[in-house]
Amino acid sequence: MGEQIDLLQGTLDLLILKTLALEPMHGWGIAQRIQQVSQEALQVGQGSLYPALARLEQRGWIAAEWSVSDNNRRARFYSLTAAGTRQLKKELGEWERLSAAIALVLKQS
Amino acid sequence: MQLLKRLQRLFRPRKVDSDLNNELRFHLEKEVELNIARGMTAEEARRQALIAFGGVQQTREMVRRLRWTGLVEAFAQDLRYGGRMLRKSPGFTLACVTILALGIGMNAAIFSLIEAVLFRALPAEHPQELVLLRWRAQHPAKAHGESVYGDCAFTVGDMMSDGCSFSLPFLNQVRSQTNMLSGLAAFAGAPRLDVSVSSREPATVVENGEFVSGDFFPTLAIRAALGQLLGPADDTPASAPKVVLSDAYWKRAFAADPRVVGRTIRINTVAFTIAGVAEARFSGLTPGSQYDLWLPLASRTQLYPESVSQDNKSSNWWLVIVGRLNPGTPATRAQAAMTLLFRNQTLHGEKPLFADADEPRIELVPAQAGLDGARADTLKPLYVLMLAVGLVLLIACANIAGLLLARAAAREKEIAVRLALGARRGRLVRQLLTESLMLSFAGGALGLVVATWGARVINALSGAPNFTPHLDTRVLAFTAAVAILTGLLFGLAPAFRSRRVDVAPALKTGSADGRHRRTWWNLGNALVVMQVALAVVALVSAGFLVHTLANLKRTEIGFDAHNLLVFGVDPPQASYKGAQVDQLYRDLQEKFSALPGVTSVTYSWTPLLNRWMFQMTIHPPDTPETTQANAGVLPVGPKFFETMRIPFRMGQDFSAADFASQAAKPTKPGEPPKPGTAAAPAIVNEAFVKLHLHGMDPMGRHIEDSLPDDPKQPRGPGWRIIGVVSDAKYSNLRDEITPTIYVPSTSNAFFSIRSAGDPMRLVAAVRETVNRRDNGLAVYGVSTESERIDTLLFQERYLARLSAFFAMLALALACTGIYGLLSYEVTRRTRELGIRMALGAQRAHAIRLILSQGLLLALAGAAAGIAASLAVGRLFQSLVYKVRSADPPTLAAVSLLLLIVALAACYIPARRATRVDPLVALRYE
Repeated sequence: MGEQIDLLQGTLDLLILKTLALEPMHGWGIAQRIQQVSQEALQVGQGSLYPALARLEQRGWIAAEWSVSDNNRRARFYSLTAAGTRQLKKELGEWERLSAAIALVLKQS
Repeated sequence: MQLLKRLQRLFRPRKVDSDLNNELRFHLEKEVELNIARGMTAEEARRQALIAFGGVQQTREMVRRLRWTGLVEAFAQDLRYGGRMLRKSPGFTLACVTILALGIGMNAAIFSLIEAVLFRALPAEHPQELVLLRWRAQHPAKAHGESVYGDCAFTVGDMMSDGCSFSLPFLNQVRSQTNMLSGLAAFAGAPRLDVSVSSREPATVVENGEFVSGDFFPTLAIRAALGQLLGPADDTPASAPKVVLSDAYWKRAFAADPRVVGRTIRINTVAFTIAGVAEARFSGLTPGSQYDLWLPLASRTQLYPESVSQDNKSSNWWLVIVGRLNPGTPATRAQAAMTLLFRNQTLHGEKPLFADADEPRIELVPAQAGLDGARADTLKPLYVLMLAVGLVLLIACANIAGLLLARAAAREKEIAVRLALGARRGRLVRQLLTESLMLSFAGGALGLVVATWGARVINALSGAPNFTPHLDTRVLAFTAAVAILTGLLFGLAPAFRSRRVDVAPALKTGSADGRHRRTWWNLGNALVVMQVALAVVALVSAGFLVHTLANLKRTEIGFDAHNLLVFGVDPPQASYKGAQVDQLYRDLQEKFSALPGVTSVTYSWTPLLNRWMFQMTIHPPDTPETTQANAGVLPVGPKFFETMRIPFRMGQDFSAADFASQAAKPTKPGEPPKPGTAAAPAIVNEAFVKLHLHGMDPMGRHIEDSLPDDPKQPRGPGWRIIGVVSDAKYSNLRDEITPTIYVPSTSNAFFSIRSAGDPMRLVAAVRETVNRRDNGLAVYGVSTESERIDTLLFQERYLARLSAFFAMLALALACTGIYGLLSYEVTRRTRELGIRMALGAQRAHAIRLILSQGLLLALAGAAAGIAASLAVGRLFQSLVYKVRSADPPTLAAVSLLLLIVALAACYIPARRATRVDPLVALRYE
């Protein structure tokens, strides 16, 4: 397990949206995927994951439904809505601009 | 779907919790599995997972709060936005709110009246503990007298009979069952009472007094506003007569004088001490009753010395009994015990009133439901009005739905923009519904003002102010429910239409045209059909009632009602006995005849058309011995037919000897005849001859009484016909002519005086004449015969007027609605018409196309309306008089009017549209 990084406010939303853009997934799967892809740098605990999912669902960016996972167990699967796709695009753009801007500032010094 | 789920969550927060719990459990299990895969033991895996997992409660709280605040925030946003939209078009908002306030307000008004009649709690302490005793049997009881005072409904039938009148001996037996009931209250309406407040003033008549048992006030726990109420000690044969005044009577007759307690007043010449005044909220136990005086049952001994033996008989049922159940006693047990008492008395008493097979039994019903009194009579017209205002509200809904539809079309661009910006359709629908509900709630709030005002007006018009409507929680809940329903009703149509908006074309053209599939059967058209149908139903229903009133006014009454003064003089039993009564009437008749301006004077047991009828069963001649038939019997004084101007067909009026022979053996209506008397001279009407005498010569014929129920009872002496008169209505305008027997009057009666001029001018002289004869005699019920007939038509008149008013309102709303909707639909087709014209269509042809479509809609609506009003006509059966359920002139007139409106609504915009240059029309938005 590498060193963990604290997530910036709002970044988790973007990560969740991005993760769900690949395929519908349940909560645990989302946390695992983020962890794996970030090579264990980003750990998402249930205490921040589920409120975030509820918030995104509330805004209508993701939708949830119960369905069967592996071993025939029922799990709540989240998927991206049309509005979520648009939101992801928007936030990605913003993120790129933000990180580019930060990189510029950091390079300067 | 999204909206539905959201609502589901709003109303089932527990479902949210369990969803989250399941989700968290799943998460934990996956963590454990992962740890096991990493090589931990099952136990260690679970422990580590739990440590890493952290607190669950916090998560749960956060999620829950998120979901709720999200909804509330969105709702607040909708409200703000809706408010802005409504403010932006104040004219539209004002129109909608006004229409709704009228529609909802009138519904709330009628409902508050119905509520006052139906649900208002009895004016007693803990009214839910009170039960009313009712008896029930397969047949009517034999050889018994039964008196009812309008406290509860009763049935007399061969399959089932029931009622709530009981005998005094039965009351005493029930009272002995102290372990069942913690209290009893028995009461009976009193006949008219002549009340002298002081010796100087002439007596006045109190029409509504009530005899109550000594435990009446204690059992019901009524409080005294002044002095004391009656108690058991006041209701013994030895107690001095006392009386309790109602608050209203105290104010009216004593100017709310606080010193009345202890004063003596004379009732039917008997001295009574005023014990106290009842609290203002109590005017009688039965809803709608308004009594002036309450007298102890025992005082009947002084007031009606001749009837005491009758009062005490177990075959004379005249008391209504209400009990307060002991908290520990189930109603079924008390019921069984009382049934036993009742069966003992009616099956095995001195005179059996029922047979075993009749299964006489007692039922204890909640007093609130059982004492229905005037409820049924008051409710029927209210239900009719409810139907009328319901129709008005439905039309108003359709009207506003039409307006919103037009607005929604105008807002399609806005909606398209919002969709393009990422708004979900569900959210938009919610937004539009919020706006509709804001309108309907504003209308509902204003409607409450209309309701209070309207209920007061209708109550005053209905002549039944005994039920005062209040704006209580039930009425408020009803109004809110109606507001929500109407909001949804008129809001759903435009909301769902908004879901069909396609973003791209709407944004491009700014108009909905050209891309909506032009379905012939669209929402606007459906609304037109609905409005036409509803208006037809409203107008046809009102037509029934208006025609009924007209028919009743035109009905042939058979006597001359003009210039007749009618009033009663009621000599009290205490001072007038036997032949003295007859003497008094003859005396007064003579004196009245001598008054200037009097043409002719007579008296009769009741004036004609006074809602009263005295009926006896007769044995029609030439029929089997057991055959019975009902006949109206009216005891009349000398010169009755001359005064009423009822012509003789055969024979002549009663002679002085006829009256003398009857006065020698005075019997009251209803009293059993004395054996061995000769047949009474009688004059019958033509209906009697036609129905019972079939071509026989009526003169001198003997009509027998029917066989008595009880073979031990003597058969009455019957009647000997000495004359035949033409038909006249007896008790009511609606009744068919009753076969009637007129007999010489020997008992209390009403005078009818025919005058040369205005009969009311005689009143002062009449009063003076009576007072000079006896200062203790009251003249009561003074009116002209025409006024009496008017009061008979009171309900018909007020129903006809109000429903006509509502129908006109419905028609006005429907006309504007239909015009608005149709002309809007046609205007929307301007471009289509332009294309048609450009392609070479004839103007006349294009206009005809539009007109025929409008005509078809109106016709469809009219047909639906006519079908519906036929069904409504069946509902009205008991209210209408000689009106056929299908009333072609009304139907035709109403349909024609609506067709004209529809045609005008199509023609005007169509003409404009076809005049427009096709090029302009094509560009038309």
